[in-house]
Amino acid sequence: MRANFPVRLGPAEDTLIAQLKAAGADQAAERITVAGLPTRRVESYHYTDLKTLLRTIPPLATAANEASAPALRIPGAYNLMIANGAIQNASTAPAGIIVGRTQGGVLTTRDDVLVHVNNALSGEALTLTLESSVDPVIQIERRIEGEAAHVADALKVFLADGATATIIETFSGSDAAHVGNHATYIALGKDAVLTHITLDLSARATSHFATNEYHLADGAKLRTLIIHLGSGLARTNVFPRMDGAGAHADVTGLNLVSDGQHADITMETLHAVPHTSSQPLFKSISRGRSKAVVQGKLVVARDAQKTDAKFMHQGLMLSDEAEILSKPELEIYADDVVCGHGSTCGKLDEDSLFYLLSRGIPKAEAETMLVRGFIAELLDPVEDAELNEALQGVVDGWLLGGM
Amino acid sequence: MTTPVLEIRNLHARIEDREILKGVNLIIPPGEVHAIMGRNGSGKSTLSYVLAGKEDYEITEGEVLLNGENILELGPDERAAAGLFLAFQYPIEIPGVATMTFLKAALNAQRKARGEEELKTPDFMRLVKEAGSQLNIDSDMLKRPLNVGFSGGEKKRAEIMQMALLKPSLAVLDETDSGLDIDALQVVSKGVNALRDGQRSMLVITHYQRLLNHIVPDVVHVFSDGRIVESGDKDLALKLEAEGYANYGGEAA
Repeated sequence: MRANFPVRLGPAEDTLIAQLKAAGADQAAERITVAGLPTRRVESYHYTDLKTLLRTIPPLATAANEASAPALRIPGAYNLMIANGAIQNASTAPAGIIVGRTQGGVLTTRDDVLVHVNNALSGEALTLTLESSVDPVIQIERRIEGEAAHVADALKVFLADGATATIIETFSGSDAAHVGNHATYIALGKDAVLTHITLDLSARATSHFATNEYHLADGAKLRTLIIHLGSGLARTNVFPRMDGAGAHADVTGLNLVSDGQHADITMETLHAVPHTSSQPLFKSISRGRSKAVVQGKLVVARDAQKTDAKFMHQGLMLSDEAEILSKPELEIYADDVVCGHGSTCGKLDEDSLFYLLSRGIPKAEAETMLVRGFIAELLDPVEDAELNEALQGVVDGWLLGGM
Repeated sequence: MTTPVLEIRNLHARIEDREILKGVNLIIPPGEVHAIMGRNGSGKSTLSYVLAGKEDYEITEGEVLLNGENILELGPDERAAAGLFLAFQYPIEIPGVATMTFLKAALNAQRKARGEEELKTPDFMRLVKEAGSQLNIDSDMLKRPLNVGFSGGEKKRAEIMQMALLKPSLAVLDETDSGLDIDALQVVSKGVNALRDGQRSMLVITHYQRLLNHIVPDVVHVFSDGRIVESGDKDLALKLEAEGYANYGGEAA
């Protein structure tokens, strides 16, 4: 590794190093001292150059003493909240859920700055043990309130064998230049079925970072949906690991970016054992001068024969200045697998638009219908009716907020 | 003389540098069904797209009057609200847009443009059910995304159902018989004939005479090289079927 030349550190890195040292995370501090924040020369940050995009890091958060309105109301949901990194007392949990706390550092160590920083700085992690199927949607609100703050928080979930659950995490807070670094670790037991949604509703001034790590045992079924639409800069790492035969993951995500926004979903799915499958499907819609990124890597271990995995990213550009970047990668060590990738990118289909117009539907409405149609493939599989409606409302709000 | 439903005066249109319509003149009085026949590439389908307002074509000369109003300055949606309907030769598949959502949006948009109240959901459902039953369109088909996975016949039936719901004053049917077997042709023709009410006019564009046995036209026009070269009654279609288009100039197909 060529790290022997001095890297010039900026104010963001200086602050980060000081925060890490103060937390006793000397190793993480040392990494940043040596290498700095990742630039475009680092493969996995090629399109999201943190050194350029992240000029300052605000001070670490103090306790929140005010709370904005709920970011998303889902009737009937069981709510938990982490505000400025501190786990709030929750109401009585529904049957099947044990709410607890553990020391932070929930993510498996890997070569990624967001993972290192989260593991070093997240204090107490919220834990949920789902012993059996849980009917109500579990909503975890992660907030950053008050003055601009740097927050690292963490959630760890165990879903028991055969259990079914739906979890949505919403990220929101005050309109300030926060830096949020959120970790979620979820282990799915045998034949467990989970829908997990992460929805970034942060204010525009906020930089939102998240890492979602999943471990799937035999026969487990996972559906994930990452939605970026709030913050000015968003990056979600999604790391599913297929650990048991018959495990399947529908890894999905949606970047909705308007003028001035930059959103990045970076996936690395590991098929570790034979007979697992995954269907990563991402969509990006970009308007104004904005940038959406999806990187998707499928890794198939040497023993993982009969892996069936197909990555797809579809981009829709609604302006001439819009930018959508797509990087599929396959890293396959087994020899009897079906793996593929595809990317498409374009504007709204003119023939489709003409068809709707020819039936009397005005242009703006027709465009909205087509964009909704484009997104439907991601929202339709969310089965809970109230949750589906809430998500549809969020997406509609974005669509109608200026085409 | 009553105002014609459609009057086309010396219409010229081009796509890029190629002139496709070279002076079309046509008058359709209320309640009449006119057929346009012509060989492939004669500009028949272009005429239908130009009438509906597709952007790809540049109008270089002429006028199109719908019920006396020039519609060439109107967008496709405004032309629809003014009473024009185009049944597509190849209806577009639109994934993710439910057929019912689309129908409701179209109906209400046109009502709104005409200053009428939006339909209430039960009234809308009743209208769709009525229109659908005549064309053998069941609720399963309506639940699917618009035209997605529809067979050729289903697509054409769905077009005619839209026409029945939207009640245009002028319907342009572009090669509605293409891709239809005999049974489907009869269902579609029956649907079209049910909409002939003495007021509504139709322009039926077709390559074959076959369709005109089912939808009997008042006037038949022969289209060649971007203009109408002969007009006559329904017997003209039979003559064409027997003799081909060779007598009408242009290059042989």
